[in-house]
Amino acid sequence: MLWLGGAIGAGTLLTACGGGDEEPAASATGGTAKPVKGGTLRVGALGRAGAITRDPHGSQANESDYLILSLIYDTLTVPGAKPNTAPRLAASWKASDDLKTWRFTIAKGAKFHDGSPVTAEDLVFSLKRLRATPAGASRLPGIQEKNITAEGTDTVVLVSDYANAELPLLTRLTTFVIPKGTTDKDIAKAPGTGPFKLDWFRGGNARLVRNEDWYGGDVHLDAIEVKIFESPQAMASALLAGQIDLASNVGAVAARTAESRKDIQAVRRPNDMAMPIVMRTADGPFADAKVREALRLAVDREAMVKQVLSGYGTVANDILGTGDPAFDKSIPQRTRDLAKAKELLKEAKFDTSKTYELYTTEDISGLAESATLFATQVREAGVKVKVVKQESGTFWDKTWLKGDLYTTYWGTNDSVVFFASKTMVSDSGQNEAGWKDEAFDEAYEKAIGTADASARTQLLKQLQQIEYDSSGYLLWGMADGIDLAGAKVNGLPTLPGYGRVQLEQAWLAR
Amino acid sequence: MGAVVLKRAALLVVLLALVFLTVELLPGDAAAATSERGESAADIERRRELLGLNRPVLERFWDWMSGLPTADLGTSARGEKVTDLLSSAFPNTLVLGGLALLLTAALSLGLGCWAALRPDGRVDRAVSGTATAVLALPEFVVAVALLLVLSLWTGWLPAVTLTDADGTPSDWTMLILPALALTIPQTGWNTRIVRAALADEARAPHVETAVLDGLPPHRVLTHHVLPGALPTVTAGLATSTGMLLGGAVVVETIFNYPGIGSVLASAVTDRDSPVIAGVTALAGAVITGVLLLADLVRDLTTGSRR
Repeated sequence: MLWLGGAIGAGTLLTACGGGDEEPAASATGGTAKPVKGGTLRVGALGRAGAITRDPHGSQANESDYLILSLIYDTLTVPGAKPNTAPRLAASWKASDDLKTWRFTIAKGAKFHDGSPVTAEDLVFSLKRLRATPAGASRLPGIQEKNITAEGTDTVVLVSDYANAELPLLTRLTTFVIPKGTTDKDIAKAPGTGPFKLDWFRGGNARLVRNEDWYGGDVHLDAIEVKIFESPQAMASALLAGQIDLASNVGAVAARTAESRKDIQAVRRPNDMAMPIVMRTADGPFADAKVREALRLAVDREAMVKQVLSGYGTVANDILGTGDPAFDKSIPQRTRDLAKAKELLKEAKFDTSKTYELYTTEDISGLAESATLFATQVREAGVKVKVVKQESGTFWDKTWLKGDLYTTYWGTNDSVVFFASKTMVSDSGQNEAGWKDEAFDEAYEKAIGTADASARTQLLKQLQQIEYDSSGYLLWGMADGIDLAGAKVNGLPTLPGYGRVQLEQAWLAR
Repeated sequence: MGAVVLKRAALLVVLLALVFLTVELLPGDAAAATSERGESAADIERRRELLGLNRPVLERFWDWMSGLPTADLGTSARGEKVTDLLSSAFPNTLVLGGLALLLTAALSLGLGCWAALRPDGRVDRAVSGTATAVLALPEFVVAVALLLVLSLWTGWLPAVTLTDADGTPSDWTMLILPALALTIPQTGWNTRIVRAALADEARAPHVETAVLDGLPPHRVLTHHVLPGALPTVTAGLATSTGMLLGGAVVVETIFNYPGIGSVLASAVTDRDSPVIAGVTALAGAVITGVLLLADLVRDLTTGSRR
């Protein structure tokens, strides 16, 4: 149910929104040292100059823009480790017994950068504005505009169309709060409530200075300078040459280049990105569950992680949502079994004389490589696969949601329910494999309508077992998110996805 | 001259129309390209209406064209003004391209003349050979080599370009590597043109007369050979302008130079016709201007000799 940003075909990593922590874990070095106040952190972030946006509720494809916005503006909640949702502008929240009505209370002392206090009216205005964007329905699913209301001065009430135990998780990402009545014309000048204030912005680059009155605690850095980079290579060069202090989400290739440098620290954020292979279950050659099982047994997961992700990742078990605290670790890990795979293919009368096409794009690094390696591996089980690379626009237009066999990617991995609701429940809008399973639907509905955490965990286990047995996904591994930083940088976030933008605890050693 | 200007302007309009049509032919459109993954078909349809993409392409083209006289280049698919997107990017590219053009002109003239002073000598053969080799080097190879040697290994120059609040590079030394990466392949190309033009001109009767008169070689070169070769050399440099702008797209990415290259690349991904057309119009105008200038030089030099 979690909102997913990321423009189709834009090659963006903005879909990423994993866990983060209210108080980001310490960086690889100096974890126990006492933070020092002061200094300017120069951060490189990926972005394309033509896709710049200043609108916190706009269509965002640039990590650089999202980073700047999330340092200036606050969302109601933020990613956390355990639980995966932590308070931010909303200090607390409470659901009605039927899990439909949710009340969020504003943090004490929250003020805009111009000094005016944050009221429930500002929240209502911002959430309604968000809901009214073309992406609004997917950003706040199940919440109609008229069901966003204020109660008193410090409480906003959201009424969902259906019971939704994970609603606070939905408010972690784009629910940026701006003052009530801000017009579209003034959006770039709207004051935020976040840990940093905007000093200047130009062409995707920005300088942000510390907000001394931030309600969320001490901010150590004097300023953060965000530099936009079109390519990860240029960003890595800048870091190696000492022109920036942090290369945010720079990826495995750059990390490998920097491995020999002792003065560069690589921060790995596990469970950052899933790039599963989708096998169509509704019809076509992979409709038989035995065929899908065979492919899952034919893949060599460890080799995939090693080669596609340069080892910066972990093996996965065909269940999406690996970062969820309720992720079921008791389900046995699938490993390669070519004999069993061949047997299953024979039982299913799978036509091994034919060549099957696997569609992929080069949207994110490693995606097309994963397809190629997969094709080589399944050949050993007798399945002939030809990789077809499509231009991004064509892929999302023609292949996604429709193809028999294709690669996809998701940057949110901290909620099993999110994937269930978005991609696996029978009537989900992005049912990538065309999967329909009554038992799964039933387990999902029960889970999302159950308030009691341990009871829900039990239901989620059922859900994951069904997914493991018969869904259309082959999830071979999880990529780490990788940031590179200079030796002086401390207090960097280590949680996946959008956790990486939480730089308010970062500090520079002297 | 007036007719030439009109013809070139008309060509630019046709080019822009082609740009609009080509973007139309690409799979997907700006509404789909800038949507988020969770959006339904109805949401994307709404976005399409907001962006005016449901109107015929010619109508949209006309709308965009009619804004041109007021310097209004339209709005990007993400709602930013195209003039804002290009306001610092385009001047930056012009500075880089201009610098590379000047360097190319100076280097290729210098090298060409040096080689021409001793035809078929060692210098001549070395220059011509190197020029051919360099001309065949793609910009990205040159760029990566320069980056490794002059920045990452030696630490002499900054690796990438970072910008200040005014949108320009924060230090002039950041211009050196990208300018060199553009200059080197173009110098290969132009040195050959200069050398060939000088050789052609050296065979002209008036040059032979000058040589027979016993004038020193460098005087023959500067007063008799070079003026005649100038139109060809100028035309060669003018053609370089287009190649420099093309090469800038690659070089800017490698050095993170804040120019139009990055704007253009992302606009194509986004199927963002107004932005693509805006970049094309500006680049087209510059190339047209430089070509006109080359024509002018030719008219002036040949005119003075008639």
